[in-house]
Amino acid sequence: MDRQTTNVLLIEDNPGDADLVRLRLVEGTSPVSVNCVSRLSDGLASLTRETPSVVLLDLNLPDSRGAETFRRVMEHAPNVPVVVLSGQDDEVLAMKALHQGVQDYLVKGDISSKHLERAIRYAVERQGLARALEIAQKQQIDFKNQFLSHVSHELRTPLTCIHQYVSLMLDGLAGPLAPEQTDHLKTIFKSVNQLHAMIRDLLEATRAESGKMRIEPRCVALGELVQQAVAMLRPTADEKKIGLEIGIDQRLPLVHADPDRVLEVLINLIDNAIKFTPAEGSVMVQASMVDADPGFVYLSVSDTGRGIGPEAKALIFERLYQDPDSVDNNRSGLGLGLFICREIVRLHEGRIWVSSELGQGSTFTFTLPVYSLAKLLAPVVSYDGRLRPAFVLVKIELSPLSNPPRGNWKETWQQCAEIVRHCVYLDKDLVLPPMGASGTTETLFVLASTDLQRAGIMSTRIREQLERVENLKTKCGVSITTRPVEFRQENPPGTLEQQVQSVADCVTTMILASRERKQLSVIKGD
Amino acid sequence: MPRPKILVVDDDPDLVRALRLRLRANNYEVTTASDGYTAIAQAQKERPALIILDLGLPVGDGFVVLDRLQTSDTLSGVPVIVLSARDPQTNEERALKAGAAAFFQKPADNEELMNVIRVSLGPDATALPAHTAAWPS
Repeated sequence: MDRQTTNVLLIEDNPGDADLVRLRLVEGTSPVSVNCVSRLSDGLASLTRETPSVVLLDLNLPDSRGAETFRRVMEHAPNVPVVVLSGQDDEVLAMKALHQGVQDYLVKGDISSKHLERAIRYAVERQGLARALEIAQKQQIDFKNQFLSHVSHELRTPLTCIHQYVSLMLDGLAGPLAPEQTDHLKTIFKSVNQLHAMIRDLLEATRAESGKMRIEPRCVALGELVQQAVAMLRPTADEKKIGLEIGIDQRLPLVHADPDRVLEVLINLIDNAIKFTPAEGSVMVQASMVDADPGFVYLSVSDTGRGIGPEAKALIFERLYQDPDSVDNNRSGLGLGLFICREIVRLHEGRIWVSSELGQGSTFTFTLPVYSLAKLLAPVVSYDGRLRPAFVLVKIELSPLSNPPRGNWKETWQQCAEIVRHCVYLDKDLVLPPMGASGTTETLFVLASTDLQRAGIMSTRIREQLERVENLKTKCGVSITTRPVEFRQENPPGTLEQQVQSVADCVTTMILASRERKQLSVIKGD
Repeated sequence: MPRPKILVVDDDPDLVRALRLRLRANNYEVTTASDGYTAIAQAQKERPALIILDLGLPVGDGFVVLDRLQTSDTLSGVPVIVLSARDPQTNEERALKAGAAAFFQKPADNEELMNVIRVSLGPDATALPAHTAAWPS
């Protein structure tokens, strides 16, 4: 039998009890060294310094009582076996302790030295087993995720080959094609795209599960994203003669979210809605605020489809869940779509859920955090407890000169953003975090606490600094405009907080309006 | 006017053949290499106008090639488009920082790829517009 010394940390405040335990331990057959402290804080300090083989813990100490005591020890040293020594035979407390990971619960009056020695030995053994199990489980999950990543990578090579050669033929680069041949090739290509989507989803779901999914939240105007998603899916909806409508609240605040990811969720939900709604049905996409939850924007996709039963509802967001009755033309035949959506929403600290009854359609709702412009503006727009007198919104548009942009566009505009930051007075001007989707044109907004004339001087300075960047002229065009912020001044004025909110609201409206103008000009083909 | 020369570096012969066909149809001249070492040597000799580079290569992977190109006096100005099966989340930024002009994950959209090639070669490139029939995917 192992003759290694067992190092016991005894946390016990009653000197009589402590002596008794010490005696029992020393009477045992294996060598034991006992470190006794009388306060929990001393016990935790000792645990920080060195790791004992086991902790013998009295629950009622001068600085902690009952369940709290073992909870704190477990929290502090999760891998050290803990045996509770209690004055009372409390079965309920004992169970609670066990559920939290305590290895044993002994009543002080009842223990013999043999009993105590055995309890300690088994506690150490059990802790070792639990730890080994935990490690094995983690290894299994890691292996599975690595395997899936590897598989999705390897599948790309043959997929690429099929994609390339079918494209070559369809593009007429391998000689003329009979209409029937073209038709068959298009059918193959549809499957190629499906396979591609499945591989992408597999990788993304694996990433989500191993906690490697990353989002890059920015300041986003949801109205635009909803329009984009709907536009992308309108052809599919039209094919089935399904009406696709949008309902967006008038004064929807900006949200703090990753635009590409939010688009992904919207597309997923709308695509599903269309899929599960019979011809001549309708799908409605809405974005609104809920009074009871002012920190979040609520987005929902409702359909007049056949609804979802209670068993399915419970499982629908889990991986690989597929409705057994579904007609399959699935974008992602793997059933991972909703799982991925849930992960994306979770990373944004939002929630996603479905309400549905069989035969009555379904509504999927998810929430995204409101972007609190007021909080960001507060330190900058007020001074000495009072609102500054004037504000100007400066808009800096960086548009790449070629489409697609030449070189590393992200690095280029981030460099510009850094330069802009250096051109403003940090205590009274704020460079707003970048807006919208990183695609091509990047728009930076600066809120300057100044008048229009001085804002003009700042604009000139910004332009001068940007033009100094090597090669910037070959990569992008710079457009800078200024507009005074005409926020509503209440009379009498409300609290400073209300005034700051008023400025924030006005700035938000101006930003949204400017993007609307941009969209309109894109539609007009400017 | 001479056609721009593109060096395609990939160890997948099927993909290389398909790319060569498409690039030629777009009026580019094409040479190929199937490993990192040969790629550098060939680039030095031929001075291509653009390089399409896979990352998973034998004998010096794509990143090694990118590094060597960046540090070469004669080749550091040549635009490099990375075309790889690897995950962009962990590779795109690294590739761009290492000097690549763009990162495409396989299978890449051919139209987008041709566009980026055209733009990277600059306004003086003599390639004709991309030869792709328009059909919905």
